[in-house]
Amino acid sequence: MRRGISILLIIAVATVFSGCDNSRQIETASIIKNVSVDRRGSQVVYTFYRLSSGETPWGIDVPADSFEEACALARDMYIPNLSLAKLELLMLSEDVYEEVMQDDVDYISTQASFSPIAYVTLCDDTTIEKIKETNRTQRVIEEQLILLKKNNPSVNINYLSIFNNFARRGEDSFTVPFISSEKELKVSEIEINRCII
Amino acid sequence: MQTEVKFSSKRFLLSLLLCACSVILLQNNDLSSNASFTFNAVCIAAGLAVCFLFFLPSLALKKKTDSDVLSLARRYTPKLRIPLAVFYALYFVYTALYFLLPYIDMFHTKYFPEVTPCLITFIMLLGCAYAACKGVNVISRFGIFLFLFALLTNILMFGGSLSELDFSHYGFELQGDFNSFIQNTLYFVTPSFIAAIFACCSGVTKNFRFRQPVFTLIFTGLKYTAIVFFVWFALGDYAGRQTYPAFVLSRVAHFGPFAGIESFYLALATMSVFMIVALFLCCISRGACTDGDRKTVLIFTVIIFALYVTATYINSVKEILVNPVLLILLTFVAAVMLPAAYIFVGRKSNATGN
Amino acid sequence: MNYSINEIKADLQYRFGDSADLTVRVFTLKSALKIQAAVITMEGLVDKEQLSQSVLNPLLTFDYGTRDAAAVSEVLFSSVMASSDVIKLNSADEIVTYITSGFAVLMADGAEELYAVGVQGYSFRGVSEPESEVVQRGSREGFTEPLRVNMSLIRRRMKTPDLKFEQMTVGSDSKTQLMLCYLQSQVSPDLLGKLKNRLNACDLETVLASGYLSDYLEDNGSGSLFSGVGISERPDTVCGKLTEGRIAVIVDGTPAVMIVPHLFVEEFQGVDDYSNRTYYAAFIRLMKYLSFFVSVFLPGLYVALAQFHPEYFPTWLLINTSESLAQTPFPVTIEVLAITVVYEIMKEAGLRIPKSLGHAVSIVGALVIGDSAVNAGIISASTLMVVATAAICGYVTSPLYPPIMMLRLMFIVVGGFTGLWGITLATAVVLIGMCAKTSLGVPYLSSLSPFSLRRMRDVFIRAGWKRLSKHTIRVQKFPETEVQDANRG
Repeated sequence: MRRGISILLIIAVATVFSGCDNSRQIETASIIKNVSVDRRGSQVVYTFYRLSSGETPWGIDVPADSFEEACALARDMYIPNLSLAKLELLMLSEDVYEEVMQDDVDYISTQASFSPIAYVTLCDDTTIEKIKETNRTQRVIEEQLILLKKNNPSVNINYLSIFNNFARRGEDSFTVPFISSEKELKVSEIEINRCII
Repeated sequence: MQTEVKFSSKRFLLSLLLCACSVILLQNNDLSSNASFTFNAVCIAAGLAVCFLFFLPSLALKKKTDSDVLSLARRYTPKLRIPLAVFYALYFVYTALYFLLPYIDMFHTKYFPEVTPCLITFIMLLGCAYAACKGVNVISRFGIFLFLFALLTNILMFGGSLSELDFSHYGFELQGDFNSFIQNTLYFVTPSFIAAIFACCSGVTKNFRFRQPVFTLIFTGLKYTAIVFFVWFALGDYAGRQTYPAFVLSRVAHFGPFAGIESFYLALATMSVFMIVALFLCCISRGACTDGDRKTVLIFTVIIFALYVTATYINSVKEILVNPVLLILLTFVAAVMLPAAYIFVGRKSNATGN
Repeated sequence: MNYSINEIKADLQYRFGDSADLTVRVFTLKSALKIQAAVITMEGLVDKEQLSQSVLNPLLTFDYGTRDAAAVSEVLFSSVMASSDVIKLNSADEIVTYITSGFAVLMADGAEELYAVGVQGYSFRGVSEPESEVVQRGSREGFTEPLRVNMSLIRRRMKTPDLKFEQMTVGSDSKTQLMLCYLQSQVSPDLLGKLKNRLNACDLETVLASGYLSDYLEDNGSGSLFSGVGISERPDTVCGKLTEGRIAVIVDGTPAVMIVPHLFVEEFQGVDDYSNRTYYAAFIRLMKYLSFFVSVFLPGLYVALAQFHPEYFPTWLLINTSESLAQTPFPVTIEVLAITVVYEIMKEAGLRIPKSLGHAVSIVGALVIGDSAVNAGIISASTLMVVATAAICGYVTSPLYPPIMMLRLMFIVVGGFTGLWGITLATAVVLIGMCAKTSLGVPYLSSLSPFSLRRMRDVFIRAGWKRLSKHTIRVQKFPETEVQDANRG
């Protein structure tokens, strides 16, 4: 009897304090599949695209100066149950990467909440526009990246996933693929000097 | 409950192996960043050699008397029994917190930030107290299941990281300085706390062989080397940017699109810390002369919890509790000095026919 | 002491309170001294034809001449009784026990002896295949209610004088007979003594089924989820266990025979395993273990993942599951708990109602609770599938169903409150409990923990008969067993 009461008491305390009410329930969690970054006027805008079965992407624009700020704003104001654990692609527009990449890279590399096997890419504006139109674009981009991994022997097999972009010690540059909208999606590697970013 | 049955020493050392291996799971960038993989491997060998030296007195005691320090204290020095029990109790409380603090911190910061750390600690300690009430034998039986789970987790962690290995940028050169050697070796001496557990509980085991602790330390070394190897070659600088590199390794490991091995890692770390704290409580209970005594176990569970809460709010207390040098010094007293003293006390008593 | 028919009759009538089924037939023997004799029976428990042929006819036709009561009594035992089952009673107190077991008690007025003659003839269920332990290739015989029939089922399979039956009585009111059954050369005397002590310590007034006694045979009382007492309705299973040094407890009136000591791994062993090919038996065993884990952990893991770690779902499954759960009104923990409880209620209803109505319940369960609830958006299809899979897996090892059910509920609650961490910790605590459990001094998890490689040949896989038959592993030989093995070294 005494044992039963103590167990019930522990369960009751656990219910209240363990974070059950803070849990990210599967039906309410906003699991982000990819994030695109582009410039609109003078403002850098981060667009968080939610995982969904539909063909049309469902994204939320968050104007911010860095990815860290964008995530915080998104949680506070736009998407309370934001989850980046399933992030597959971070697309940076070619005209914002110099501005944001340094901070974003630092932020991503120190946070455990990101999927470490996601890709970081640079894109031209048309590709950024395309991803807003259909979910198919992301699949095409990922297929292109996988092809690049397989076909290009100079690119390390894991060169393109985000964690390994920061892996090399004593190197001044690393490779990030560039996605172009010409002739559908064309991938070319671009070297990014670490000193610059 | 079979507290009176003597059980295999091999199984006891398997449990200690699992305890020793958990140290590397809770590593929070404690290793010097200047040291290369080969250098760290040397440090592991040096650290575990020191661990073996820590083991020697209690091994000799077990071999000669088939008993442990606490039983001998009862037999030969009844007056010193209480101070000795108090010392060991304080030592094990300290060591329990030494492992609980980084574990809860890792769980809280990396895995599930919304959770209340004190409550998680409380529930965890309740589980440990329950296990401690069942005795060392039962905990060592549990160790067999934990060993299988650890094997599975390691296979997943290492197998899933194989595709990330990159030998072209990080070689096998011996690179590091003296300070790094001291810092890293000191870290790898941490598993010497298992020698203190052995010194307190080896009396309940049978069929002891000298090679058993040697193999325990060799396997611990292999596990450490494997983790350091994968962290070095698969994570590279990324590991340096993140806290708890072993956790990051499990997070990075994946088989195609199937990831999520960090949940296995967390489960392994949870069960390992659970076993360590339960074993500590058992040792405290044995010191109080009653194996599996509920009152003693509960009192010390409350003390550990109270100290944990204090450490979370008062930073200076936390700094003392996670000080590796202090841990090694206390371990030296618990695992080397006191067993060595009882070797002489036993010899003297035998000579006088007592 | 000389027994008087009138005194015995008065005593019995007092004890039974003039019960209608107590029959005391008094008659005068063909003797010069006109000695009276009595046959005491309970109506409905004796075979009347057998009674008249083997007791009454010889008794009344025999000429006792000038013998006195003592001599008549002697002749009754040595020459008159045509039955092979005649027991001399030690005291008048034993009369009640024997007549309520279907014996006829015979006495001559003024004699010193009382005899019980075996003329049992009550109606009972015939030997049939046990429903809970159906096999494909094996005997179709199962235990039934009468103790003696069950003894004969075992004896027919073990034609060795080494097989011993030892009778005991439990229950101060019910005086239930039970038999301890063991192989003398295999059993540990220490184990046997321990078992007898526990049965003697049983202070129950009424024992109507073997289950009443299982708490008394457990080492840790009834606190543990798992049972250290095995149950079987199959004589071949019991015989197999006896050869390993175990003891069977057969309780009169129950077809379920208890076997002690009982280990966790035995729950996964079936009679068919030993009839099938080795590779197939091994496959089935592994499936059983898998089913056990799925049944216990699946709903809890599902709740924990959905509640705390949705990112662990593969992407396509995550989309489907989240969309499906988004249409239901309750949180996933409540949903899983509710379906589990509803399923248990339906299961109980299905078990208790007449068979002819069983189909109706199945249809109502499948259509109303299942399909309609999903269509109405009350529960999600994925949740229903998870609970149903766990429920089906639970029946693969049906003797473990009670602990499976409790553990499943526990893991759902723990998973819903604390996620995977809670499930990990709860698993550790449950494992500690299982590791601490013993069955008559033998560790419950023997073979696994304490680990024994030699004994693993019949745990996850079943070794071939040639290997198994080389050396039978007796239960007292398991590591860290508290009982001593005095029979063999």
